[in-house]
Amino acid sequence: MQTQDGIIAEQSGIPKQNYLTNGTTLKSWLLTKDHKRIAIMYLITVSLFFMAGGIYASAIRLELLTPPSDLLESGTYNKVFTQHGILMIFFFLIPSIPAVLGNFLLPIMIGAKDLALPRINLLSLYIYWIGGALTVWALLQGGVDTGWTFYTPYSTTFSNTYVMAVGLGIFINGFSSILTGLNFIVTVHTMRAPGMTWFRLPLFVWAQYATSLVMILGTPVIAITILLLAIERFAQVGIFDPSIGGDPILFQHLFWFYSHPAVYIMILPGMGVISELISNFSRKKIFGYEFIAFSSIAIAVFGFLVWGHHMFVSGQSIYAGLVFSFLTMVVAVPSAIKMFNWTATMYKGSILFETPMLYAIGFLGLFLIGGLTGLFLGSMGLVVHLTDTYFVVAHFHYVMVGGQVIAYLGGIHYWWPKMTGRMYSEFWGKISAMLVFIGFNLTFFPQFILGYLGMPRRYASYPEEMQVLNIFSTAGASVLGVGLIMPVVYLTQSLIAGKPAGDNPWMFPGLEWRTSSPPPTENFEVTPVVTWEAYEFSDENGLDIDEARRRQAVTTV
Amino acid sequence: MASHAENGKFHYHEPGLQHQFEDMGQQEESVSIGMWVFLVQEIMFFGGLFTAYLVFRSRFPLAFAEGSNHLDAFWGGLNTLVLIVSSLTMALTVYYAQRGNRNMQVIMILLTMAFGATFLGVKVIEYTDKYNSGLIPVTGWNKRANEAQPAVEERAGAVMPWETAVAAAESGSEKKKPYINPHGEFQWNYGRHVYDYAIEKEKSGKPYLTESERVGYFSNGVFDPNKYRDKIRIFYFIYFVMTGLHALHMIVGLGLMAWLLFVAWRGDFSALYYAPVEMSGLYWHFVDIVWIFLFPLLYLLGRHFLH
Amino acid sequence: MSDNHNEGHIGYPGYLGVFAVLVAGTLLTYWSSFLDLDAIFPGANTLLALLIAFTKMTCVMLFFMHVYWSPKLIWLSAIASFFWLAIMFAYTMQDYVTRGTGVF
Repeated sequence: MQTQDGIIAEQSGIPKQNYLTNGTTLKSWLLTKDHKRIAIMYLITVSLFFMAGGIYASAIRLELLTPPSDLLESGTYNKVFTQHGILMIFFFLIPSIPAVLGNFLLPIMIGAKDLALPRINLLSLYIYWIGGALTVWALLQGGVDTGWTFYTPYSTTFSNTYVMAVGLGIFINGFSSILTGLNFIVTVHTMRAPGMTWFRLPLFVWAQYATSLVMILGTPVIAITILLLAIERFAQVGIFDPSIGGDPILFQHLFWFYSHPAVYIMILPGMGVISELISNFSRKKIFGYEFIAFSSIAIAVFGFLVWGHHMFVSGQSIYAGLVFSFLTMVVAVPSAIKMFNWTATMYKGSILFETPMLYAIGFLGLFLIGGLTGLFLGSMGLVVHLTDTYFVVAHFHYVMVGGQVIAYLGGIHYWWPKMTGRMYSEFWGKISAMLVFIGFNLTFFPQFILGYLGMPRRYASYPEEMQVLNIFSTAGASVLGVGLIMPVVYLTQSLIAGKPAGDNPWMFPGLEWRTSSPPPTENFEVTPVVTWEAYEFSDENGLDIDEARRRQAVTTV
Repeated sequence: MASHAENGKFHYHEPGLQHQFEDMGQQEESVSIGMWVFLVQEIMFFGGLFTAYLVFRSRFPLAFAEGSNHLDAFWGGLNTLVLIVSSLTMALTVYYAQRGNRNMQVIMILLTMAFGATFLGVKVIEYTDKYNSGLIPVTGWNKRANEAQPAVEERAGAVMPWETAVAAAESGSEKKKPYINPHGEFQWNYGRHVYDYAIEKEKSGKPYLTESERVGYFSNGVFDPNKYRDKIRIFYFIYFVMTGLHALHMIVGLGLMAWLLFVAWRGDFSALYYAPVEMSGLYWHFVDIVWIFLFPLLYLLGRHFLH
Repeated sequence: MSDNHNEGHIGYPGYLGVFAVLVAGTLLTYWSSFLDLDAIFPGANTLLALLIAFTKMTCVMLFFMHVYWSPKLIWLSAIASFFWLAIMFAYTMQDYVTRGTGVF
């Protein structure tokens, strides 16, 4: 194909005019309305927060190498795990896939020029920065030691740390989440290209939609909870103080009303990415499209009914515990449906073991373990033994790191050529994927055993007989750390000297692969008209794979 | 700009159309869904406070009724009517914007703002009254008066249409007790009428106190006015947070109206383009709806106990 | 499209009518708060006040906020938000209501 100033699809090499080159001043980036640029800015910020949270994690694992609390004394250790939790949950996990991959890909996947409300998108980024800056400032001043859960009355009455500042930072950050969710919902409803019906949408879009529902329904409640917490801390009115008639359990109800759906905010986008990865890298149409789509919505809805399973032993009534326990079992069903569908997709597929697929397969195994152990924790009899032990820690790291982070890494690697126009080093990608998988299991599997043996969480010291398992865990953490730092190196290197990817380096049928890499600012030269179903690996959808392969072979250097 | 040149081609689009939309219909639909989603999250935001209200009222209904009796339902009711009128003028603003009638639009927006400001003015009156009476739940935030100072003259309650002035003055006589509050803490000087009423009713056999109340109001089996006061303080805390958050939304609403006034004055709105007016209207009506629920739940709790 | 906004709206008399209903509701709720309806069953006062408040809210939503003429998606959002509020209230209260009641 002849190159022109405009963008022609099926071109190899990086087009001269794309969203990255369209305006090179700082002002053009900071005042951009382009969802892709906003996604890149989110990517950088989110990665910084991930690294900060990772440093706290290293401090935790280093301290736990030895039984006594020798590296960090208890007060400091409290601050370290609290800040690890806050940074990772509120500033990395919750925004990661929606704000980075969702922002970048959602409009492209539905064939739109941009999100419905681009200025709201930019506002969302600014709010994220402001909330993050406030939190980082508070952490540098001395931090918080209440646990990321801010349980009262410790956080309101007794803690001598920067509870209000960090709370305010999280409060502000919540609005970033709400605005992103709002934008996605509106966009999916109104901005789909002609022919892009709901059931032709990629499952990534369905997952983002479900996540957005959770964001807008749940996040305001944590906002008001933090507000009440701040007022209580400031004015000592007593709504959470039992001696004056208040109820600390009320705080927990309001807190977990959001924070449980929050974990679905964290995992649903990851599941969306996995649907994309598994289907595409098996070169096979996804099994049970409608089931996966509706499961996403079901998880979003049912996720609001189970928050009490975080409060089994805190004083809520046993009847309420029964109801929440039963519903916890129910909410696992849609996730299980997805797992079965993904596995069935891989059956008789033509599997490409590229780096993103390695992450996806890792997800299947790790999320399975994480989800299953969540069911153990949801049964009231067992939870009395396991609550507040390392079993819980291992469970949520399996779903959050083994699930979400691995899905996020898989997604970043999968869409990296689209976002930057460059291919990364496949060799190093595979090595780091395997290091992450091995390191992760070595870190967190011993923690299941530790929890079962009774090691409490949030403790800086532990009995001597548990040291061996803790050493395994820390060793694993170092491997995991190496595996997580490596992408930073080779992905950055790819920006400088990576092989230019064509518009469709993987030969996949998705709409995002039918525009150039990186895409132009308005995403498509011509508004696409969609006539094919999602994940169709055949000629009728206009993607002549053999022809494209021939062209790629000829024009790529 | 209704038209511009782009890549050498001449583009025409409707006034106010943003670049990411194909046509005005898509923009209006998007903006409308966006505003409603925003209102949904605002509902959940206030919902957290309603949950706290629900929990505490179900545990301490008598204290809540007692506290509520000292909110002046007259001002609360007036505020409700003021907001309803402002909702009407807001709806009429949209009506006129749709017809491109600039002058009536501007008048209606000004009226809406006037009523909104009236609402806030009444809230100032109410909050000042609470300040003077020692009913703000934060220590140090109430008016301080010690014995050396003359007794503070309480504002007599507004005379109801069905009372004589003498009756009103007599019923408000308790409020004229000397007010002593050197540390500015929360004080409850208004007795325990609702509690007494409930105890009377209990004598006839029907249980009137909840489980929490049987524990919460008593020390060593005896009624403890300090513990009762603490529960009333929780009521006032919820009152201030809920009405305060509502007032904050009102202030934001006034800001929104000011911007709308400016744009309407310019004559930007017509049948082709009036979505900003409609969306601002949605926000304003939402604020009204929250007050519609706040009024009976906060102000009208315990009146029936007194008759 | 913008044309359907011009059809079906209730116009000036309609708005004034809804306004009258709202004012009547306010006066009714104010007046009934003085009656001791709890003699009928406990909580009757609150129930009546909430019913009136719901009616007023419905009037404002349907007619002032134009939900009556809006697409089904808007109806769904409005109803869903109340459903979610109900979830929050019900599941929180189920804890408080069942405390200290013997086995549960």
